[in-house]
Amino acid sequence: MASQSPMEDTMRSKIAAALQPTHLEIYNDSHLHAHHKPMENSTSHETHFRVVVTAEAFRSKSQPARHKMVYALLKEEMAREGGIHALQLKTKTPEEEEALIRKEKEEKGTQVPGASVGAA
Amino acid sequence: MSTLIEIKSEDDWSNHTSAIPPTALQIISFHAPWAAPCAQMRTVLETLASSYPITEPLSTSWVSMNAEELMDISDNFDVTAVPYLVLTRNNEILETVSGSDATKVREAIEKYAKASAGIPNGNRSSAAATTGGNVATNSSTNTPAVADPATAPQHSTGDVKEDKEELHKRLTTLVKAAPVMLFMKGTPSAPQCGFSKQLVALLRENSVKYGFFNILADDDVRQGLKEFSDWPTFPQLYVDGELVGGLDIVKEELSNEPDFLKAYSVSKSTAV
Repeated sequence: MASQSPMEDTMRSKIAAALQPTHLEIYNDSHLHAHHKPMENSTSHETHFRVVVTAEAFRSKSQPARHKMVYALLKEEMAREGGIHALQLKTKTPEEEEALIRKEKEEKGTQVPGASVGAA
Repeated sequence: MSTLIEIKSEDDWSNHTSAIPPTALQIISFHAPWAAPCAQMRTVLETLASSYPITEPLSTSWVSMNAEELMDISDNFDVTAVPYLVLTRNNEILETVSGSDATKVREAIEKYAKASAGIPNGNRSSAAATTGGNVATNSSTNTPAVADPATAPQHSTGDVKEDKEELHKRLTTLVKAAPVMLFMKGTPSAPQCGFSKQLVALLRENSVKYGFFNILADDDVRQGLKEFSDWPTFPQLYVDGELVGGLDIVKEELSNEPDFLKAYSVSKSTAV
């Protein structure tokens, strides 16, 4: 049976293979944007994603550099007509993720900073 | 080259109008300092003006005024929104352009300017090359660079390779057009994308002074910039000509380091 989320599957497998993340979450936010004008001719349900990745591979790389790593993996999918239109990224190293969890525990009730990225 | 003069008072205005010949095309821009698109429009006009030589008798006159401060004058011209452009000759209104569509503004001016006194040095390239928005910058010395006359006067793709180089050159200049440059979808007053909107809000909250460019109005820049910076999405924020990233990165930087953009903030909320 064909997968309901081919794009997400592709993303997951590519990111996993290339970055060996210790933590990987992919959220499909497409439904939040489905009514937006740029989306009016879209037939895909997989246009807007939010990805949280924790990987050693990001160590000593700046945020833009980390995001570029992910973009590079999904280059084709993002360039494709009807492919990924927007991608939000949160890229951390295991230590950073640790620090963030600790910080959040301290400031109980603080919202996890929602990642926001632009749309292609 | 002509310059955009700021009219500060009613007297200023009457002095000015009585001094120009009836054949001259009057280009009158109404603005409000708190409206970001006005700053952008100012830059567009300054750039355009610089490509029109000062002639004798005067063929084009370029003025700008604060619509709120000079309310009688703006009322006279029925200005209800800014930026607003009025073109007159011999005290007759030829055309008006409301809003920040740089192409429309340029085309209207060119249309009537041609009738005035010959064709200006055919610089469709200046604003044409950067349609859809120029930058709000406080140093107008930057503007001529942004409006660098391209070797290809038309917006066409005659020689693809040349265009690419030209585009690259233009982008290099564009990202440095202001210390903080935002390439977004839409404009700060009318963002066309939730992410662009959020980034604008973030910059505003931090009182950052920035220039912006509406990539929806210029597909060359939209596609070119993606290649140029190896970054597939918008909005894109550049600081001192270097890509910082999109919304999430800027958000992250600011939460880690609240003084991240401190150096570029303003105390007042004026855009220019």
